[in-house]
Formats: sequence, structure tokens, C-alpha cells
Amino acid sequence: MAIPTVLVVDDSPTVRKIVQMTLQREQIRVITAGDGLSALTSVADEMPALILLDIQLPRMDGYHICQIIRKNLQFRQIPIIMLSGKDGLFDKMRGRLAGSTEYLTKPFDSAELVQTVKKHLVDWEARMPPQHEGMRTRLRRRG
Amino acid sequence: MEQQQQDRIMDGDLQTLGLQSILKMLALSGKTGTLFVHSGPETLSICLRKGQIVALREDGVPHPDLLSMLCLLGKLDAARAQAIREATRGNPSLVLPILMDQGWMSPDEIQQRLEFAVTQSISHALRWVDGRFAFHRQLLPLETRMRPLDIDSVLLEALRQADEWEELGETSFTRTTVARWLPEVSKEVQNIRLSKEYIDVLCLSNGEQSLQGIALVLMTPEARIARLLEQLLTLRLIEVVDTALEGALLQDLSNIIIMSQHTLAQQGQSTSPEQHLLGLIKTMSTCINGLFIHHGKYARSLRGRGQLPVSEIVRYLERRFLHPLQLLARQHYPILETASFINGQLDCTDILTLDKLVRGDQLEEFYWEAVQGLAAFLRMVFSEVLRDEVGNSHTGRQLNTAWKYFLEEIDREVYEYQKYRAYKTTQAGHNHQVQQLGIVPNYGIQQSEGGQKGLPQTQRRSI
Repeated sequence: MAIPTVLVVDDSPTVRKIVQMTLQREQIRVITAGDGLSALTSVADEMPALILLDIQLPRMDGYHICQIIRKNLQFRQIPIIMLSGKDGLFDKMRGRLAGSTEYLTKPFDSAELVQTVKKHLVDWEARMPPQHEGMRTRLRRRG
Repeated sequence: MEQQQQDRIMDGDLQTLGLQSILKMLALSGKTGTLFVHSGPETLSICLRKGQIVALREDGVPHPDLLSMLCLLGKLDAARAQAIREATRGNPSLVLPILMDQGWMSPDEIQQRLEFAVTQSISHALRWVDGRFAFHRQLLPLETRMRPLDIDSVLLEALRQADEWEELGETSFTRTTVARWLPEVSKEVQNIRLSKEYIDVLCLSNGEQSLQGIALVLMTPEARIARLLEQLLTLRLIEVVDTALEGALLQDLSNIIIMSQHTLAQQGQSTSPEQHLLGLIKTMSTCINGLFIHHGKYARSLRGRGQLPVSEIVRYLERRFLHPLQLLARQHYPILETASFINGQLDCTDILTLDKLVRGDQLEEFYWEAVQGLAAFLRMVFSEVLRDEVGNSHTGRQLNTAWKYFLEEIDREVYEYQKYRAYKTTQAGHNHQVQQLGIVPNYGIQQSEGGQKGLPQTQRRSI
């Protein structure tokens, strides 16, 4: 069985490690990025099944990253869950307008995080674009 | 259902008639049928023909993966194991017959293994206090190649094994305990000169096989395996895995760290050094209290005892942490003497409301001392909590890494304040007037230069 890969983008190493630990226990492979540019590189290299994206990041903010991904035909299907400390309606709307799939407020509960991630990982293999057949095979081999 | 009722010869509870007596009675009268013994989620089905045991099945417990264990011991290769897996289609009772049919295990060894498995299961059931039994005329159609076993000799050995468990006394091991070797010991194992028995158990401690499974494959009583595991644990060659507990513990501690990291990030918008330090005090005291609440639930000596009175938890926490706090206060950070334990929580109200008593440099000095003291206490509390709850387990090591990252984030904030202090000290000679006017050099400079408040590195984002 193939293992899905989740990309965690957050400038706090603490948050990255906690999310990694939490998801790995659920048999999910986790890769991490500490800033916007590394995040985009990881998306292109690894084609994650889901992205957990912090909003305020060094160099490029989460809204901007989200917009770039949504404009790319190859990656636009990837679900993006935004992680933010702002829980106002305006912030949530902004996230949605940028193209996020879901919005989680910090501090998040790890059980809630797992539940949300799993919800968006249903049928993740089917969402992989055909041009990434090679990547899918690679993931199966890893699994 | 009606058929089943008619089929039943006798039934009752184990407190009235123990398993030993029931089996002896059935053996003496030479009965044929199936004896069902239930306790909690477990059920034992013993098939008897003319008073002898011909088959046995255990339900409600995970079936040991015999094939994997034989592979780990080098008694079966992976290809054969895979072939058997495909042939049995997940039915564990077919494994031994196939091994015999293929000639990969001798009929004598098969008989020995089947006998051992029957004895082990009956020995376990002999220790049940609560439960029910029922004897039915019908024989269950169980696949077995076992030669009939004499009940008396099985009982004798089963009772001996049950006694061994009793002799173990208070042990944290159960037959479902799973152990795994510690990764960092691989180089040292050769130097310890372990006997073959220990090495076999160590080989099977891969974090997947239960104590019961290890006993079964090695044909060694469970109590003996428990002793060997205890010894390996003492030698720090293995760790015990309690998946459910570790999962719950990891989740709870992760939430505390995430919450504390969030508080730390939020407090970064402080406009003055006092505010910055106050934010750190709030973050750390909240984190300490979170850890106390967590430890009240998961401390080794408190868990598994159901709902405990709050007073007992409070007493435990005070016994564990009050003295180190007092020691820190006496030896290094006197400001911590104003912090007290109330209902198992660290009360820092006096420190947090210091601004009502003092102002300016003196307030900053008090806050600074409190930050250093709480940082030291926080480190101590976390390492104690982790050591007690999970020790040097995989979960423990993972949590330690996450914790290290969080402490680094706190240290970065503390370091930024230290830089500001150093700057203030060097400027003290030159900027008496600035100081007297209450203008904070570094924090003020940042505000005008970057259009933002706070030190460059302490500038935490508000997300």
C-alpha cells in the first residue's frame, strides 16, 4: 500500500516537529519546510498529497504560496490546509480566497489535526495527476 | 439458539467452580464435547474427546505471528513464510499443518508446539478469577494435527506455569506486553555476553511480538519470558511499548508544547523589555502548569488506578516538584520564593503583578530573575515528567526533540533580551539621560527603523 506524503510548512521548528511526530504515527510520511521558497521546491520535488501551510513565513507568506500552487496546473489539486493563529472571519476569508481547502487555527489539537488531514487524504492517490505516474510508483515502492 | 441450549450439558461461573476442577471432572467422566470458558473479552474453547484434549482455540487476544518469529529466529526463510501466508489466507491455525505437510517442521516438533500452546492457554485461564464456563456436547470443527492430550499432565504443567507468574510478584509485564530493542545498543550487545536464551528473546523484541507470542515460539513459559525481558530492560537493551498509552501521552504533551509555542509567538509583539519578559514569564508558567496537569494524569504511580481524588494528585505533584522549586529559589533565584503551589498548580500571581509594587529598572531586574528561574524550573519539570512517564522510549526521544526545539525558541527570546541588556550596560555611561527619561534604547530603535516594535529577533509574528 502506498504511503501519502504531507508537506508541513512552518517557520517554527517546534511546530514542524510536533506535526511530523503526530502524522508519522498515523503512517503518513512527512516532509517539512521552514520558509516559502523551500516549500515551493518541496512541492515540485515531492508532489505531496497534502500541504499544511502556515501563513506568516519568512520571504513569502502562506497566501502567496497558496496562490502560486493553485495557479499551477500540475499541483492545483493538492489540498492545502492553512494553519494560523488568527481566527477572525476576515483571515479565514483571505485564506479561502487564496485557494486554501481548510483553515485550522493555532494552537491546534493534535487529534483534530489528524482528523482533518485524514479527511483530505481520502482518495489521495486518485488525485495524483497522470504526469506524476512515476512519482506514484515511487511512492508505492516506498510503502 | 434453542439447539445450543439443548446441547449444553452444564454451565456456571468460575468463582463457584474453578477451571481446574471442571477439567478434572470432565476427564474423570471421559466426556466428549467443547468446554467454553469466558473472562472479559477472552474466550477459551477446549475440545475434549473421551476426556482428553484434542484441540483448543483462544479468542479475544491477538494471534501471535508465528511465521515472522520463526523468520526472526532464522528457522524459516522469508520466501517460505510468504508462501505459507498466501496458503493460509490469514488463518493462523493452518500454519503448523502446512509446515508439517511441506516437511519444513518435523511431526514431533509440531506435536510439541501444539502441546505447549494448549498448556500455555490453560495456564493463563487458570488465573482467571471472574468468568463463566459452559460445556457443550458438540465438538468444534477445529483444524488440528495434535495427538490427544491427557488432562492431568496438561493441568500439572499449566499449574506450574501459573505459579511461576504468581512468583514474579509485582511486575509491569503482561502476556500482551510488547518490547522492542533500543537502537543505540546494537554495538554493545556483543560485549555483554548474553546467553542464547536472552539473545533469542532480544531477537524477537522487535516492537511487534507480544510476550505471549515470544513464549509460544520459544516454547518457554510466559513467566520465564517476563523475567528475561525484565533483565533485558534493566540492561537497557529493550524498551516496553504500550502503544495506546504512548499515543495518548504523545498527543497530550504535543498539545501542551503547541499551546506554549503559540503563547510564546503571541507574546513576541511586546513593545518594551518589561512586556517582553512578562510574556516569557506567562508562557513558561502556563507551560509548567500544563505539564503538572498532564503529569497528574500520566505519572507512572498514578496511572492505571482509575479516577483518583484530586487531593492525592496534588500531594503527589507537591512531593515531586515543590522541593526542587524551593531549592532553586534558595540557591539561585530568590524571586521564585514568591511563587507557590496551589491545588497542584504553580501560582505566579505575585510575580505577574509586581508592576503594582515596583517600576523601571528594578521591575525589569525582578522579571529577568523570574525568567531565568522559571526557565530552569521548566527544564527540570519536563525532563522529570518524561523520565517518569516514558523513559528512554522511542516516544520519549521524539518528544525530547520537539521539546528541545521549543526550548531553543525560548532561549532565542532570552538571548535577545540579553543582547538588549548588554547594549544597555555599555550605553549606561553615555546615555544617563536617556535612561532617566525611561526610553528603552533597543526596543525604541527598532520601532523607528523598521516601523515595527520589538527587537529584530524577538519580533515574533502574530499569525
